[in-house]
Amino acid sequence: MTQVMAPLAGVRIADFTIHAAGPFSTHVLSQLGAECIKIESKTRLDAFRKPHAVYGRMTAATFDQVSANKLSVRLNLKKPEAVDLAKRIVAISDVAAESFRPGVMKRLGLDFETLRAVKNDLVMLSLSSSGQSGPDSHFAGYAPLFGAWGGLGWMSGYSDGPPVEMRHVMDHTAGFHAALALIAGLHQRRRTGKAQYIDLAAREIASAMIGDALVMASLGKDIARPGNGDLHMAPHGVYTTVEDDRWLTVAVSNDQQWRALVATVGEEALADDPRFATVAARRQHQRELDELMNRWLARFEAGDAAQRLQDVGVAAHVSWNMQDIADDPHLHERGTLAHVHDPAVPDRLAVGAPARFSCTSDVGIRRATPELGQDEDYVFGELLGLTRTQRTDLEEREVIL
Amino acid sequence: MQNQSSGEHGSLPLAGCRVVERSRTAAAAYAGRLLATLGARVVMLEPEDGSPLRNAPPLVDGDTGPSALFTYLAAGKSSVSGDLASPEGREHLARELSQADIFIDDTPIAERAAQGLDPETIAERYPALVHVSVLPFGATGPKAGWHGEESNLIHASGEGFLLPNGLSNEMFPDRPPLKIYGHFAEYQGGTVAALSALSAWWVASSMGGQYIDVSVQDAMLLCGAFALQRLGDGSLEHRAGRSFRYGGVFEAQDGFIELLTLEDRQWRGLVELLGNPEWAQDEALQDSLERSRRGGEINRHVREWMARHDVETIVSKAQQLGVPAAKYRTPEEVVHGEQERSRGLFAACRMEDGRDVEVLLAPYRFHCSPLELGGDVPLLGGESSSSAGENRS
Repeated sequence: MTQVMAPLAGVRIADFTIHAAGPFSTHVLSQLGAECIKIESKTRLDAFRKPHAVYGRMTAATFDQVSANKLSVRLNLKKPEAVDLAKRIVAISDVAAESFRPGVMKRLGLDFETLRAVKNDLVMLSLSSSGQSGPDSHFAGYAPLFGAWGGLGWMSGYSDGPPVEMRHVMDHTAGFHAALALIAGLHQRRRTGKAQYIDLAAREIASAMIGDALVMASLGKDIARPGNGDLHMAPHGVYTTVEDDRWLTVAVSNDQQWRALVATVGEEALADDPRFATVAARRQHQRELDELMNRWLARFEAGDAAQRLQDVGVAAHVSWNMQDIADDPHLHERGTLAHVHDPAVPDRLAVGAPARFSCTSDVGIRRATPELGQDEDYVFGELLGLTRTQRTDLEEREVIL
Repeated sequence: MQNQSSGEHGSLPLAGCRVVERSRTAAAAYAGRLLATLGARVVMLEPEDGSPLRNAPPLVDGDTGPSALFTYLAAGKSSVSGDLASPEGREHLARELSQADIFIDDTPIAERAAQGLDPETIAERYPALVHVSVLPFGATGPKAGWHGEESNLIHASGEGFLLPNGLSNEMFPDRPPLKIYGHFAEYQGGTVAALSALSAWWVASSMGGQYIDVSVQDAMLLCGAFALQRLGDGSLEHRAGRSFRYGGVFEAQDGFIELLTLEDRQWRGLVELLGNPEWAQDEALQDSLERSRRGGEINRHVREWMARHDVETIVSKAQQLGVPAAKYRTPEEVVHGEQERSRGLFAACRMEDGRDVEVLLAPYRFHCSPLELGGDVPLLGGESSSSAGENRS
């Protein structure tokens, strides 16, 4: 393997995760330099390797962000010998990560206690919808359900509408937190030499996103769904512009910004209007204010208005679609957008490094999505020392499948 | 006052890690909060009149009282206050940073040099320090100086444009797109700041400290990377078209339900849940791609059925049948939830005004050394009553 100069270089992960949340956590760690061995099988193809009909994707994906950087090996974990090989991978890894329903790893003979017996300082993550314990631990779920259970779905939405369904960002939020917890576990292991088992419930991540509302609820206080509104800032919202379906977000946090805004939109006369002179007054006249904002901003092209408002210190940004993002010079200059090159995949953009490090370079996407079993020469051959004959035999007996 | 379990702090994952946090945004404060709950000793370096987060909404008594947001984000930290433009303030800063492993700062770039917070100065004075900058659009690039509140940032990263989808969008197709509640994008920035800090700290003993540039926009974009992946597949997503072909938000008699069946067996369970209706017996619907094509028709039937049943019955029967379904729970239901109680999701904490409250401890359990809240909400310039520094290291 090529020497990587990223902060987590040298950390190895045995990755049993499936779906989106778990794979995202190990993808983030791989971007930070960890070597991630994705353990999968033809008998139970990863979601991206087959059509995703409910989402409208009628074929397999050619590129899968959360699998990028990862090494792929095949193990048919229904076979005891495959489980033994999985344990051998864990034994030479620092981290094991999984995201099956609670109980599956135990049934496979790959639960934390068993794995700790082969790797006594293992840092292990189990990521599930409701956690490994409690009356709901057996519940099956996906991102929108995490949001529903955790309260984030209820708190999001138009004030007079239904709650809103969280999508992949919910999975990936869980993944970010899981990555953090695993690095913390590694630090703990370095200091104490001890193993750690991290039990992450994705629905609790959704709850963590409404931690302030939960403080209110614990005091018995009501908290209404705010929609696009804010309890202190006004104007605050998403406004129409001269372009169709091209919206401008504006957040005004003080009177100075308010005066700068009215000057920018050519409505200086309103700067001292008592209805809008203070934050409290603007909040009181919010409906009127939002109507005026829509009327004023409807004279502007969205990007131009954002730039003019930023120039006078007002927080404003166009509601961007992914094409806007793909074309953005700022994100390109920062290296946030990475060009993925791979013989099998036409050149495309993906999201690279989560942050920019001054010393440890090489953070980011180093290779595209692996083919199923692409890295068995390295993992089974070099790392586990299996001969070609042994591997062929295991393939014939559908242990490696 | 000694914390009851003071002797055990040394066993927390980040025991011994010292963090200085300069925060005016939820992003930087969330980074510090995550590290604090994992066992780091986190000192907020506040201006003399306190962090603006102390007054950030929601306030627990409506227009007055302590900030619920600050209570959540500051629990377990301690506070030092001072004016960094003054010599005394600089001394405070120097004292804190000389003892710190990690410095998290969200001071806007234009204000940094005057406060001695520019990366060059910090790197020269504290070569072993991991210095993490957390800004709305990052510290470099043409928009590094741009202002960004949560609503701007969730739209700058593409997710805002895609919300709401499903039922909300069907009901209000002409309304502007919608943010996710609270500080969702900023929390992604905070999480990335925390995990980047710990990554750099991982190699600090061999490589020394370094400077890390975190952007909330970048972090939220990585979180929403799937939409960029879809663009690479040739599909520019829009909230009106992002709905699941079938499933989604449904209104039952007494509340809202999320239902999503991705696997064939889950679909068969759903048909049974609905009482094996005539329309679902169509052979063609055995095929998942056909179901996808006829999603609108399926959803009409499911909606009609949901409206005649109550949430508890639907959800409990669905889970028995292996059909992923969940109630849209309110914050009150989460706080009193059996599952949450059983997993110890909340911890007691004292607010600035002395009132006791429960805050979400951490959204993960560490089985071999349970996490705990390091203390209460600190008063300005003081530690919280139960977080004496020596306990944390």
